[in-house]
Amino acid sequence: MERRISYFKQKGDSYIFAASLGLVISLGMVAWIIFVILSRGLSFFWPGDTVLVKLHNDSAYLGEIWESKTVYRLDAEGDEHEEEQFQMKIGNRDLYGRDFIWLNRADVAQESSPPDAVTIERREYGKFFGFIRAVQIGEERFEQPGAVLFEKAREAHRQATATRGRIKDTQKKLNKLMQPLANLQREITLLQLSPEAKTEKGRQKLAELQKEAESREQSIADGYGILNQELERLTLQNRSIILTMATAEGAEKEIYFSEIVRFFRPNTMSGLAKAWLYAGKLWEFVADEPRESNTEGGVFPAIFGTVVMVLLMSIAVVPFGVMAAIYLNEYARQGAMIRFIRLSVNNLAGVPSIVFGVFGLGFFIYAVGGSIDQFFFSDKLPEPTFGTGGILWASFTLALLTLPVVVVATEEGLLAVPRANKEGALALGATRWQMIRKVVLPNALPGILTGLILAISRGAGEVAPLMITGVVKLAPTLAIDGSFPFLHLDRKFMHLGFHIYDVGFQSPNVEAAKPMVYTTALLLIVIVVLLNLVAIYFRNRLRKKYRGSTF
Amino acid sequence: MLQTETKPKHYQKVIRADRWARRLITFGGYGIIASIVAILLFLAYQSLPLAKNAAIKTLFTFPASQGPSKALLTGIDPFQEIFYILDEAGHVQFYQTAGTKPLSEAQLPLSGNEKILAAAKGSLSSELFAAGTDSGRIITAEVRFQLDYSESGRAVIPSLSVKEIWKIPAAGKAASSNAASSDTLPDHVEKLAFSQNEDGSRFYAWVDHQGALWVRSYDAEEEVDYLHPLSQYLGESSVTALTISNHGENLVAAAANGIMRWFDLKDLEKAALRDEWSISNGPASALSYLLGDQAVAIGTAAGAVEVWFPVRTPSNLMKFRQIHSFRSHSAAVAQIYHSSRNRDFLTIDAEGAAQLHYSTTGKTEVQFPRPEFSIAAGAFAPKSDGILLVDAQKRFTLFRLDNPHPESTVKALFGKVWYEGYPGPEFVWQSTGGSDEFESKLSLIPLIFGTLKGTLYALLFSVPIALLAAIYVSQFAPFRLSRIVKPTVEIMAALPSVVIGFLAGLYFSPLFEQYLMSTFVFLILLPLIFLAGVAAWRAVPESYRMKIRPGFEVLFIIPVILIALQASASLGHPVENFLFRGNFQQWLYTTWGITYETRNSFVVGFALGFAVIPIIFTVSEDALSNVPKSLTSASLALGASRWQTVRRVVIPAASGGIFAAIMLGLGRAVGETMIVLMATGNTPIIDFNPFNGFRAMSACIAVEIPEAPVGGTLYRVLFLTALLLFVFTFVLNTLSSLVGERLRKKYARF
Repeated sequence: MERRISYFKQKGDSYIFAASLGLVISLGMVAWIIFVILSRGLSFFWPGDTVLVKLHNDSAYLGEIWESKTVYRLDAEGDEHEEEQFQMKIGNRDLYGRDFIWLNRADVAQESSPPDAVTIERREYGKFFGFIRAVQIGEERFEQPGAVLFEKAREAHRQATATRGRIKDTQKKLNKLMQPLANLQREITLLQLSPEAKTEKGRQKLAELQKEAESREQSIADGYGILNQELERLTLQNRSIILTMATAEGAEKEIYFSEIVRFFRPNTMSGLAKAWLYAGKLWEFVADEPRESNTEGGVFPAIFGTVVMVLLMSIAVVPFGVMAAIYLNEYARQGAMIRFIRLSVNNLAGVPSIVFGVFGLGFFIYAVGGSIDQFFFSDKLPEPTFGTGGILWASFTLALLTLPVVVVATEEGLLAVPRANKEGALALGATRWQMIRKVVLPNALPGILTGLILAISRGAGEVAPLMITGVVKLAPTLAIDGSFPFLHLDRKFMHLGFHIYDVGFQSPNVEAAKPMVYTTALLLIVIVVLLNLVAIYFRNRLRKKYRGSTF
Repeated sequence: MLQTETKPKHYQKVIRADRWARRLITFGGYGIIASIVAILLFLAYQSLPLAKNAAIKTLFTFPASQGPSKALLTGIDPFQEIFYILDEAGHVQFYQTAGTKPLSEAQLPLSGNEKILAAAKGSLSSELFAAGTDSGRIITAEVRFQLDYSESGRAVIPSLSVKEIWKIPAAGKAASSNAASSDTLPDHVEKLAFSQNEDGSRFYAWVDHQGALWVRSYDAEEEVDYLHPLSQYLGESSVTALTISNHGENLVAAAANGIMRWFDLKDLEKAALRDEWSISNGPASALSYLLGDQAVAIGTAAGAVEVWFPVRTPSNLMKFRQIHSFRSHSAAVAQIYHSSRNRDFLTIDAEGAAQLHYSTTGKTEVQFPRPEFSIAAGAFAPKSDGILLVDAQKRFTLFRLDNPHPESTVKALFGKVWYEGYPGPEFVWQSTGGSDEFESKLSLIPLIFGTLKGTLYALLFSVPIALLAAIYVSQFAPFRLSRIVKPTVEIMAALPSVVIGFLAGLYFSPLFEQYLMSTFVFLILLPLIFLAGVAAWRAVPESYRMKIRPGFEVLFIIPVILIALQASASLGHPVENFLFRGNFQQWLYTTWGITYETRNSFVVGFALGFAVIPIIFTVSEDALSNVPKSLTSASLALGASRWQTVRRVVIPAASGGIFAAIMLGLGRAVGETMIVLMATGNTPIIDFNPFNGFRAMSACIAVEIPEAPVGGTLYRVLFLTALLLFVFTFVLNTLSSLVGERLRKKYARF
């Protein structure tokens, strides 16, 4: 008898182990992906130590060591050899033509970390690794090596940065001055190109416009001259603040200080100094514009675009979704029809996002947007205003996409409201609307919030439908800015998710862009996961309440 | 009535608010239904025109009998306002489609009673034509339609300009057997084909009154003429029809004995015979190269209409083959005209019956109403949106041709089509090419195949893992564990697919390539080490085993996986050396002819797992957990072990839910866009090999729709693809919901 029990206990144990295998693999996959993104995304901004590597063949490289691997190579006799290789980021794209190099460990003659090695982040051509040779500020030139030179370089950089700021201001003023004239000239060219210019009336109008343009040109001539002179002077001034660098092999390279974002000597920096720099770069990442076709700098426009798009989407989806849910639950007569509708709404959640994108493109952009253009912006045609992808249409498309999420979550919230409460309200003489407003909605709020948060998280992470409804690689202007009417619904925008796709797959220098993509992916994941955790928290609270309120 | 009057004012406000709220909310409710229906209808509405057949509508008929001479050539301007007729006497008459009288007239410089015997157009973009006369002259001229904008609006002003007058070589010079008998005849240009290429070089082919075939290549850059007598290739039989390709590189000549000959004119200084073949349905009576310069439409004396184009033979020669045959005419085909926009062509027989065909699909699209008299000339409007026919009485009829999507028949979208330049009928997706003359290949089969291939690999990977995990979590895991697992899986579901796609493309695929062998070794080692672990576990005395708490399994399996990982990482290379001579990819290629792509279906399957596992897990875990406690308790009480209960009671009870879960996962995998876009090479091929990529429907839409011209065929085909995706996923989801609902009802009574 005892034997049989043990037999039963034993039987199938290995299957239970096998079942746990599935769980461990799934969790392992999540852990892996999070680990990869975290480690790569966070390490990118840490100022790495620079290493000077001298090879047996006398070539020398200065840079950061990124990766290493073992390769197997067959020699002439067919014997196999293991080779240790490591990847160095050597920067200096304008000199070497590439940022990365793979070296054989066996070829290295000498490896050192020189304290005076300088890492420069430039506005163009990426990083520069080298040693400071000389600093020139106007007529003055400093060459004696040592700490003084580095300090001089710092001073020169401060000067150049200040001048750069003034150049930008002057340019802005110039643009502002020129704007009305430019607008007028655009009107003239358009008129010249149109068939209207051939008619008498058109000719007259053209002459008038040209006359106006001339008088306006004269009126701003003085201001223009002064500003232009100032601009020239400042530019010249900045051209005379020069940093002369030497590469690992001794070649000299002159760099304008105004082209430098920042520079530092990583090998002499303390952990604290590095942390400070790290924080600064992290801030730059979140708050700055992208540079170098999105592979450097920040992602602020993408964050901004994502946020504005998601907000517009929420404004569109929440009232509609909540209304639909209330209708299904409180107003509609429950029957086969409502069951079918509920089923369809649920199934809408499973429809591929790209299908919504196609619908958005065909319906919102071409059908609705095209008509809006014809009625309200016909003077700008054939250049489309709303008849092309833009933030409004992208938000509407995503609103449609996230509608089922909001409806389902709201319904769950509505169901959590005890029937007794509702009936009690009605029995006391409340109208249906009063009952909904005073009893149902307050109690269903967590459900609505859950729906909203899940919708936002879905909207923030979705890319495919946005790709065809208005997201672009680089938007020159933000959707909200200081010029009237402040919120520009027709503008194209940048998006974090699309940024990942674009930089990772469409950029000319994928290898150099990769770290940036990891960081962006990390940012996106953090946003989405946080939103989801909040939603899960709300939902759990709601469920508890639901469980406790059955009477 | 009385009641409402007595009620206080604010109560009326409340009532009104209630009424408005009801209306608004009902509106919102109906709105959601409307939007679902709208999506479906809109997608269908956008793709429906694909199924539309070509239609013609008579816009205008006009009796233009001016003079007795026969019309040879006709043409119309892009706005379809002005058309012209060239007649035998060299008159070029311009008519307004809106008026009734000739607008103006011009005259080709003919001498005395010189007559035009043959005329041919020679350019896709302009109304350039050549006319051969009975005194052996070839006149090249162009009809221009100038646009003029004035107060009253746009006006089209036609004009005629003569480019060149050229005399063919005198008769008798050509070595011909019957030269002596016909010496008295003047030089005639009996048949003429003409073409001008984009450099301005011109190619003329003609048959003179002695039946000799000549080609003249005029080099515009060097301003040199090259004359090629081709009669030596012809044999006894006379030439019945000629055509020169639109870029002047090829000449096809038909002989009365049914032999066709293809000459290569690419080298201006030479004219070489490239291929000779014979056709079976009687001698060709009309020929025309179609757009793209590959296919030749052939109309025979018996009325057959065929399309032939050169196909590469195994010996690497280009040989003409018959590709399509169309609805035949009841009389000999007299004329063939081709469109300059697509592969439409018009055949007109000797009795005046006209038919419109589309070469790619092999479909005869339109039969024109039979006119009273035979047709003298026809022309496509430059935008291929109209067809002009002129009958023997010089009356013309203008038809509006409504044929926006000729290339998308059911057969072209879902069947094999023999495209120009291909060795046989194939499923091909290649929507855009280098030039306007590109033949778009819009078979959806490679895309559907790609989607299914990705889905298959994704499900192969994720279904076992997700189901095992769901079984474990719902049946065996302690509460503490499942409390952590569920949110983790939800977060896995929420990971943006663009992040997974990016990792798959830039991290997993190089890693997989590097550790390819190790991955396979892992797949073999894992079960072995697992079994070894289980054996070791059984060796542990039972008294200890009984003390172990549930949830221990996870702790047991982690070292098993780690050991397997470590072992396979270090074993991968030796195994590759031992079995595949050190290079698996090389071995794959040399042994199986399989090329390894870095972004391949394995990687996609794995990456899609991130998207699919959470769905299958969540839904099946729900179903498994909801199996009534009474059932499992009964089973356990009867002495079944934990696993036996799961295997015999829980899984069968939840099988519907598990099915629903897999359906949902399938739907997700089918529709996923970013992952397949980023993790595959996106090449639309049909190949089961897991080491290369594919192009999925969703990714194809994402890539191609931004560039597709609105309302064009590609645009609509992509809408159709989206509609297919919509319907497919909607059906899958409905199925799974219905199953889930039935399940809930079934167990509600327990």
